[in-house]
Amino acid sequence: MAAPQDDSDDGMDEFMEKFKTTTYKNAFSKDNWEEEFDKIPMFMKKAPEEIDSQSYPELACLQAMIHDEDAPPEEQAANLKDEGNEFFKEKNYKKAILSYTAGLNKKCGDQNINTVLLTNRAAAHFHLGNMRSALNDAAAAKKIKPDHLKALIRGAQSCIELRSFAEGVQWCDEGLKVHPTDKKLQELRARADKHKRAAERDARKAKIREKKLHGEKEALLAAITDRGIKLFQTSKPRHRESDGEEESSSAALSQLSLDCLSSQEATGARVFLDEQHILHWPVLFLYPEHQQTDFISAFCENDCFVNHLALMFGEELPPWDTDRKYHPQNLQLYFEDEVKDTLYQVKPETLLLKVLQHKRFFVKAGSPSFIVVVKGSPFWEQFSTGKKIRGL
Amino acid sequence: MLSDFEAAELISFLTPEARPDVKGHTTSYILGLSGNRDGCRFLRTKPDIITALFALTSDPSIAIAKDCYFTLINLSADETLHQVLLTDIKVLQVMMKKVLDPEFVFSDQICSILSNLTRHLKTCKIMFEVLQEDVGVAKLVEIFCAESFNKKAKFHHLGPLLSNLTQLPEARSFMMDKDRCVIQRLFSYTQYQASVVRRGGVVGTLRNCCFDHAHHEWLLSDDVDILPFLMLPLAGPEELTEKENEGLPVDLQYLPEDKKREEDPDIRKMLLETLLLLTATKAGREILEKKSVYPIMREFHKWETDVHVTAACEKLVEVLIGDEPEPGMENLLEVDIPEEVEEKLTKADAREQEELEKEQERMKQEEEEEKKKRSDTEGSEKEQEAGLIR
Repeated sequence: MAAPQDDSDDGMDEFMEKFKTTTYKNAFSKDNWEEEFDKIPMFMKKAPEEIDSQSYPELACLQAMIHDEDAPPEEQAANLKDEGNEFFKEKNYKKAILSYTAGLNKKCGDQNINTVLLTNRAAAHFHLGNMRSALNDAAAAKKIKPDHLKALIRGAQSCIELRSFAEGVQWCDEGLKVHPTDKKLQELRARADKHKRAAERDARKAKIREKKLHGEKEALLAAITDRGIKLFQTSKPRHRESDGEEESSSAALSQLSLDCLSSQEATGARVFLDEQHILHWPVLFLYPEHQQTDFISAFCENDCFVNHLALMFGEELPPWDTDRKYHPQNLQLYFEDEVKDTLYQVKPETLLLKVLQHKRFFVKAGSPSFIVVVKGSPFWEQFSTGKKIRGL
Repeated sequence: MLSDFEAAELISFLTPEARPDVKGHTTSYILGLSGNRDGCRFLRTKPDIITALFALTSDPSIAIAKDCYFTLINLSADETLHQVLLTDIKVLQVMMKKVLDPEFVFSDQICSILSNLTRHLKTCKIMFEVLQEDVGVAKLVEIFCAESFNKKAKFHHLGPLLSNLTQLPEARSFMMDKDRCVIQRLFSYTQYQASVVRRGGVVGTLRNCCFDHAHHEWLLSDDVDILPFLMLPLAGPEELTEKENEGLPVDLQYLPEDKKREEDPDIRKMLLETLLLLTATKAGREILEKKSVYPIMREFHKWETDVHVTAACEKLVEVLIGDEPEPGMENLLEVDIPEEVEEKLTKADAREQEELEKEQERMKQEEEEEKKKRSDTEGSEKEQEAGLIR
């Protein structure tokens, strides 16, 4: 070792000497050296959520430097941009957005930095699924620098995610003006265009389907009214009577009547017109004696009641018929005219159509309903008291 | 025609410093001259007048400038004038650049002139070079496709201009550059209702491009997808079955009942020719077949009344439903046709052409007789813009 000199490394030799004599304190211990390691800013793998000066003194120090309020705005903005980028790399997009926003709020005059801040924030929003925000940021960046490729690409991508395909194509075209050979822009344009055309096709298809359905509805309604069958209006009419005569056109009427056709049955069965132009109705049989109902989903208008009664009561009597008396030959059918408090008797051999056409028959909620009782039963005596009975 | 002395006098009236009313009368007179062939041919012998006209296009009087532009349009419509019109290229270069100005009021007139000047191959070559250097075809396409680049001009005549330029392989190469997005921008204009000039120009461009069968696979690929845009103008409102619809390209599915077909028979014919060109290669045929274009052609054939267009349609359908040719003959454009066969085919073509023309004549006569029976009092005025359209 050289002889100590006065102006040489002050205290350096002394320091070196110490190694020979003193044991090193403040070394990492075997147990927690990894923890300690992670606390040193240089070796940190990722930033802690909260930085307080107690647990992370060095980091707090660095932070203070970054957010130094005395530095010029451009510098602060650039630092915040870097901070944001770091968060972005860690996929901590929310924090990244906060940093970028803080950077933008510095309102520094450097448009390059601002463009990058906006574009990067757009990217962060994009990865969070905030497409609208991403698009807004990309648009703002584009406003500052119309040829900024990353902003143009991000804008186009956001449009596509928002299903705003025509707008997406526009973004690409704008971009291609300045960057005509950019592959990403070309690819995005092709994709946006394809989706746009598919969406147009879907709209056309839906329109045609709707038209077809509407046509079918009109035909159905026409068939019903042609037969002189009346639908009962359960709700207030939508169109005002006092409106111009044009409103009483078939359009308004059919809308109203179609509402009445919607069956309230859980099965969702509805009257329909088959290919031979025959109507089939969902029909309710009511058994007030036992508070029971039967539902026939498709009763052909040219069919008679006998067949259905035979089907339902012919072989086996229903379990609710405790007295075992609901044999087909003992049954009587009626429909009720509530307005006039009258029961009209329907002979089982009658065709459904004939009954529906009766001048006092109204189809309620799209389902004709009939009361079924046992001839001469005590229940019937009670039920029919006070009501007028008529034949068809 | 005018004597040399009278012509010299005219030139003196055409100087920028001349009295406005004298200038005005002269330009008016010359416009009148240019309206017929003899007048044009006369003006051809007086290059000084033409130079003066070019100069006066910048005259402060809009009326005078307008007369000059219209005169130049008429002159450029006559092929024999092209040589003299191009003697001073610099003048044209200045004129071309004006098109880039979004405020310029005579952009459409310039486009007509450029379109006329590119009609024939020789001048087309010269024009293309000048255009590429000073304006760039890319820029022209951009302006053509921009909705509102210039409030005073519509740029429809850029359509036929592009069509003319694509006579040249260099222009076609540029239009179909795979590293850029050029030709794709034109596709939607095959259905552009507002201008038959634009539509015709675009279809002409696409047809010319399809002569390069090396590009067919790219053109028909999903990324570029030229096919639907060629078919849409030919597709009608007829309802197709769900199965037929689902087999068609997306753009042709579920067309509404108010769908109209292309009303110009020449454009319809060009579209069919383009489709026929695309059937030249095996790959092309396969794609066309896979995309089930046949139902569209079937309905089209029922609807079409023009004999020439029907003939083109039948040619296409034959290929679509015909068998694959034997090996060695797959590329129909490259097949070697032995001389005698070629002769026979040419003669057969000529005969077919004759028959078609006779048929057309007959139909025309029938129509005329019909017209005479009804009273027809409408007279039609000829437009001053005589721009030739390919």
